[in-house]
Amino acid sequence: MSILVDKHTKVVCQGITGNQATFHIKRSLDYGTHVVSGVTPEKGGEMHLGLPVFNTVKEAKEETGANASVMFVPAPAVKYAMKEAVEAELDLVVCIAAGIPLKDMLEVKSMLKGSKTRLIGPNTPGIITPGEARLGIFPENIHQKGKIGIISRSSTLTYEAVIETNRANNLGQSTVIGLGDDMMIGIDFIDALEKFHQDKDTKAIIMLGRLGGTFEEDAAEYYKSLKHKKPVIGFVAGDAIPYGHKMGYAGDVIAQGNISAQDKKEALEKAGIIVVNGINQIHEELLNLFPAK
Amino acid sequence: MNIHEYQGKQILSKYGIVIPKGRIAYTPTEAKRAASRVSLRGPWMLKAQIQSGARAKGHFLEERAGKKGGIRLIKSRRDIIKNAEQMLGATLVTPQTGPKGKLVSRIYVEAFTKVKRVFYSALVIDRMVPAISLLVAELGELDINELALKHPEKILKIDLPLNQGVGLEQIREVLEFLKLSSRSARSLKRFINGLHKAFLENDASMIEVNPVGVMANGQLIALDTKISFDDNALYRHKDIAQLQDDYEADERELQAAKYKFTYCEFDGNIGCIVNGDGLAMAVMDELQDKGYGAACYLNVKGGVDKDKIASGIKIIMTNPKVEGILINILGGFLRCNLIAEGIIAAASEVGLNVPLVVRFEGTNKDEAKEILQHSKLPVIISDEMDEAADAVIRAIEESD
Repeated sequence: MSILVDKHTKVVCQGITGNQATFHIKRSLDYGTHVVSGVTPEKGGEMHLGLPVFNTVKEAKEETGANASVMFVPAPAVKYAMKEAVEAELDLVVCIAAGIPLKDMLEVKSMLKGSKTRLIGPNTPGIITPGEARLGIFPENIHQKGKIGIISRSSTLTYEAVIETNRANNLGQSTVIGLGDDMMIGIDFIDALEKFHQDKDTKAIIMLGRLGGTFEEDAAEYYKSLKHKKPVIGFVAGDAIPYGHKMGYAGDVIAQGNISAQDKKEALEKAGIIVVNGINQIHEELLNLFPAK
Repeated sequence: MNIHEYQGKQILSKYGIVIPKGRIAYTPTEAKRAASRVSLRGPWMLKAQIQSGARAKGHFLEERAGKKGGIRLIKSRRDIIKNAEQMLGATLVTPQTGPKGKLVSRIYVEAFTKVKRVFYSALVIDRMVPAISLLVAELGELDINELALKHPEKILKIDLPLNQGVGLEQIREVLEFLKLSSRSARSLKRFINGLHKAFLENDASMIEVNPVGVMANGQLIALDTKISFDDNALYRHKDIAQLQDDYEADERELQAAKYKFTYCEFDGNIGCIVNGDGLAMAVMDELQDKGYGAACYLNVKGGVDKDKIASGIKIIMTNPKVEGILINILGGFLRCNLIAEGIIAAASEVGLNVPLVVRFEGTNKDEAKEILQHSKLPVIISDEMDEAADAVIRAIEESD
């Protein structure tokens, strides 16, 4: 079992004829992902990587039954591509692009409200259910099927967490989700925690947070409210960033108050989440939870 | 990207926001001419145009610039030239510039505006809603960040709908919160809607108008403003992009930005090269736990061009504050071998004079390690992030 994507997920790739899309869709196909079609406006009717290419997402859905999109379109085109995906009522969109204008993202978020479509990202490595489906750019060779769910707000740190689950007697992963590194994102920790709690094969969850916003605090409140809790190991990056450093968004301080990485860790801890200070301590906590027999 | 106060005011005035009459001056003579254009008898405000808050609380490094700060109230015409001479070409240090300060190359000459009272206003993005939010407050002695920390209840926050202006109810809410008379209602509505439109049409990421002045007739006037723009949207605002003042930006940051990388400086002595902001934070946290700190970090993101990566690495190699380099790359989009090739290319151009530790994981990591092993560069290769951090620290301590 897994969450959000598995071997039955029928994937369409928006922007399939681009270089990066070609490189990564080929790898996803080799991995066994059920990619059924691609979309590139004005290239409808062509074949690419052995897949039919359509002009619109709607056609791709009608002709090939696609229900999820992995989107490799460049940042300025994202809001238009999103509109198509939402209007075609896809279940899931994974948006890889980084650097989407804030205003476009505000528009995307309002499109998603009340729609059937869930967004993962933008600026994400995507989602992977080991051995079944890879929607994104994950280095698939580090993944192995298993029982730990991973949710991360930091693309590259996700890979660290994956490696940690392998170091812990190869516990492996049920599903790994990169929520995206951007200021505004689609699904958040709460959505993913909810799904992982419903998935009977996920036995424990790793969540990787970072400075900026209140995603971790909100997740802590949600976790506190759960009746049946699965163990969660939490990590928050950003202790070494001095207060007010321009690395963050200045508006955060006024809109949310100054929330340090330390504050976030405390909120997680209070909710009963196991907090580690170094990402490479995760495997030790996993071994405590699942001792070798 | 940030712009100067006078440029921000020009933008706001296009959206119906009232600003004091003002002109920009690069020389004392221009300042004198500007003064007579904006007001016949004065008084005037002379305002140093550097991109920093708290300019009034600042001081100049040069003795010739006098004891007064970067914002000066001038009552006589004669003093315009004198003060312009003092400020132009001098270095203004404020609580926000750091001890090096910033060079004043132009001053804004404004007609002094008498106001009855002032308040703080801003439009920011609240990423959690998400929405563009209006913030207003009476600051008193505190700055807005201090107020947000100590008395968040003293800031009124209203989330604005994306595609329409503010309603009457919200105007009433602001009037009441700030205890403004209903005489200001029309001006307030125009002010907020102007800000909102300016924000959206120019892809701002934050607009502060602080202070907003309330004149005797109730009309609002923008006395100072700071506008930041969304770097990711500059491609559709060529007019704004060209306002970038290269004097204001750090030279290394500018270089990095040219290759679409991010570069930030800190107080430590280790140069970090990573792909991903979260990873950068985690690496810096790791160093801090061990009693060390980053001098700077470069985020090469999902770079795919070897030459650009090499140029990025050179920025770190040539930073004199860097006593050791820690490269931690988790290949996904980015292929590790490109980093390895970039290291060799950069080292062959500028030389590698400090210890360098690399840790590769993910896409093409074995190929990357092999490339470095064959290069004969004195590179230490490590397999874990904490080991890599230990290795660079040890190497720095040994080379001392």
